[in-house]
Amino acid sequence: MEAIDGQLDRARRGEPEALSALYRLLLPAVFGYIAARVPDRATAEDLTSEVFVKMVEGISRLRASDKAGLVAWILQIARVTVAGYYRKREHQPTFVPLEPADWEEEAPGENWVIPASNPASDPAQRAEARDEWDTVVKAINTLTEEQRQVLIGRLILGYDVDTVARMLGKKANAIKALQFRALQSLQRLLGKERSPEHALQIHTRRKEDAP
Amino acid sequence: MKSLPERLNDRLERRTVWSWQGEEPPDRLLSPEHAPNRDPEVDELVALALRLQSARPLQADPDFARQLEQRILVRNAALRLERPGSSWWFPRLLRVHPVFGLALSLCLLLLLGTGVLAVAAQVTNPNNPLYAVTRWERQVQISLANSPEKQTELELQFARDRLNSLASLANSAHAEAYRKALTELDQQITAASRAINTLAAGADHDRMVIELAAFKADTRHTLREFLPHLALPERLVTTDELGRLGDTVPRLTSAVIVLPVHPNEQTTVSISGDDIQPGAQLLVDNRLVQVRGSFQNGLYVFVAHWVGNQHPHSIGILNPDETAAQTTVITPGSSNEHGNGSSNHVGNEKGNGNGKGKP
Repeated sequence: MEAIDGQLDRARRGEPEALSALYRLLLPAVFGYIAARVPDRATAEDLTSEVFVKMVEGISRLRASDKAGLVAWILQIARVTVAGYYRKREHQPTFVPLEPADWEEEAPGENWVIPASNPASDPAQRAEARDEWDTVVKAINTLTEEQRQVLIGRLILGYDVDTVARMLGKKANAIKALQFRALQSLQRLLGKERSPEHALQIHTRRKEDAP
Repeated sequence: MKSLPERLNDRLERRTVWSWQGEEPPDRLLSPEHAPNRDPEVDELVALALRLQSARPLQADPDFARQLEQRILVRNAALRLERPGSSWWFPRLLRVHPVFGLALSLCLLLLLGTGVLAVAAQVTNPNNPLYAVTRWERQVQISLANSPEKQTELELQFARDRLNSLASLANSAHAEAYRKALTELDQQITAASRAINTLAAGADHDRMVIELAAFKADTRHTLREFLPHLALPERLVTTDELGRLGDTVPRLTSAVIVLPVHPNEQTTVSISGDDIQPGAQLLVDNRLVQVRGSFQNGLYVFVAHWVGNQHPHSIGILNPDETAAQTTVITPGSSNEHGNGSSNHVGNEKGNGNGKGKP
């Protein structure tokens, strides 16, 4: 696999293959970051698109030459984009959809809560699942930006502590502390209702259900 | 015993290793209750991390991912079309070679400075902010000249430049700039004349004297050509300048004004001065009065109907050759003194005016 600096150089020259490679590398982080901060999938997809268009437009000016710098840059764009979304939303009325969103239709609780029956057929459970994810988003939004970026780097991208430390310009110990505090805060905010044991049961049951 | 953040991280690292190897972690990692060293506080956080990691809402839909990839490639293609042969290498070169960047910055600064000087050199309007740069540039050139002859030549050259630039200002739209430029022309001629006087007697001195005389003749000819295009105040200052250049121009000494005692009577204005031409027209407070005058006993006399009984601030004449002159030395006279110059003096003792009298 080509080194990231070579890919970055080619992407700066506008080579489509290099841009595609970077896009595939960054999409989970960007989408994960945004989806954890906005209440619905459609908005997350819109904002993710916005971020990657900005990436294409601005990559020729990017100074970073390693993965950590690249991820820090794209998450900074994502952060500004999400902030812009919330700023705009302050001035707009809130719409409550009458039809179920795609987000809900594709079994929202599948990985977060396990419903007793098919959620797509049960409006009450669908609403419950939506409310639960809203709670998660609200909880994530109460974290600090650094805590959020640590969770994205560590959990979504699977980077080691040193890489995340370079990404945020901090020491490894600080990243471990941020990671701990982030999860601790989330656990406190989400309450005992979503107990780890419950989550593990979900995970195990999913394994059993898999073909 | 390690701290909680350390223990949590260790557990997540182990989970990550399994995840990166594309395998499911062994049950003991997922079921901490079966692990020999149970760590409930860390277990809860690991479980939460796993749930977040696998949360479906945080994962992009494959269809969306494909569509977005196409979209950014299209956008990229459009951008490449918008900037063909883009200078992507330029900022990169600056990053790679800071010394190059510094040298380039200095070059740009030099170019910018040269550019400003070049632009300023073309500026002829004294009201333009860049004109100060032009003047400074000229001062520097003169101070850098290595001989009095060279300095004199430069002074004369700058006077020629100033005269050439006057042509574009000789209209009513640039009245103020014209006046400033004319003043500078006068100063430049004086400076050239002074520089010639510093030259030792000899061929260079004589040559420069001849050049200055030729230039003054050119200037007189040029200024006379401007006169018909100028407003009255600018004609007055141009006439003054022509006078300083040795041309024959009207000069007014004083004016006597006899206001009528009765409404049906006429006002008489008697003007004394030199080179008032036959057919000259009367100017009262910088305004032309359509009345014919005539010479009587060495005075040029105008008789006109006067509205009101206020004394004017300035009286002037406009010669048929477009030269103009005025005076603010105005004395009121009585009707029986008319024509003999006997009067009560009320003027401010100024001779030829410069057109600044109130209309």
